[in-house]
Amino acid sequence: MEFVAFVIAIAIANEALKGYKISKEKTLLYLNLSFVLIGAGFLVDGLSSLIVFLAGARRGFLYPFAVGYTINFLAQVIAYGLLVYAYVHQARGIGPSPALVAAVPFLFFERNAFTELILIFLLVYIATQTGINYSMNKGTNSMLVFGAFVSLVIAHVFFLIFTVAPIFYPFAHIAQLCGFLLLLAMLLRVNRPT
Amino acid sequence: MMPEKQAEAKPTAKYRSQFRIYVDIMSVIQRESNEAKPTRILYGANLSHDRLVRYLEELKTLGVIQETGTDEKIYSLTQKGIEFMNNFKRVESFASAFGFKI
Repeated sequence: MEFVAFVIAIAIANEALKGYKISKEKTLLYLNLSFVLIGAGFLVDGLSSLIVFLAGARRGFLYPFAVGYTINFLAQVIAYGLLVYAYVHQARGIGPSPALVAAVPFLFFERNAFTELILIFLLVYIATQTGINYSMNKGTNSMLVFGAFVSLVIAHVFFLIFTVAPIFYPFAHIAQLCGFLLLLAMLLRVNRPT
Repeated sequence: MMPEKQAEAKPTAKYRSQFRIYVDIMSVIQRESNEAKPTRILYGANLSHDRLVRYLEELKTLGVIQETGTDEKIYSLTQKGIEFMNNFKRVESFASAFGFKI
């Protein structure tokens, strides 16, 4: 599932980059950087999970799993933070801010309630913005993007519950996949021949 | 492709970038079945006469519009201009899906 999300995220990033090249609109550059980071995070997480799976999840060999999750988490925090900044930047018309600095983690951590709460907080803001956008223009593409971010919020809520109830793990992945498939549907609609 | 030279966005809601004005002019021409008189473009793109003349010259230099007509000037999009507008509409639709204005 991580690899599917990676491919869709990179496709979205590519479309945003094409848009930036045409319009030189900075919000599209932020969108591009954001989805590149999301894609990279999923790729690292997917590869680390694959390594653990191939190694047979032996005791003491779960370290790559924590490394993958930490990198994916940091990539997502920066990516969703960039998206939040893009919405704020557009709403206020403010100039560029000081460069974002990614903190280097001294400890790698596994999925936990605190990290999920941070992601949920960022995603709820983005979902609200895309919801407002949909309520204003009522377009199908806006609805798909709104649906995608709502799915991602649900996915991270399931990941949060998973820390106490492991049964929610597959539901979280399914919700996450649904979110990225909705983004793919939007991308295909935008690129359909006129 | 449009020139890279663009004014920085200012915190005013009604500010229109040079790029946006180019697109507005080309949209008016396209809306008028690809044959628009200067007066139509002037009203459609909401520009003064002096600025309109300047922007039309710039668009002609970029090769995205052409001037036709003998008695009266008529502007139309070139193939390059039509391709640009198609790409722009795709990008606008993509950005709009996320709630971004370009």
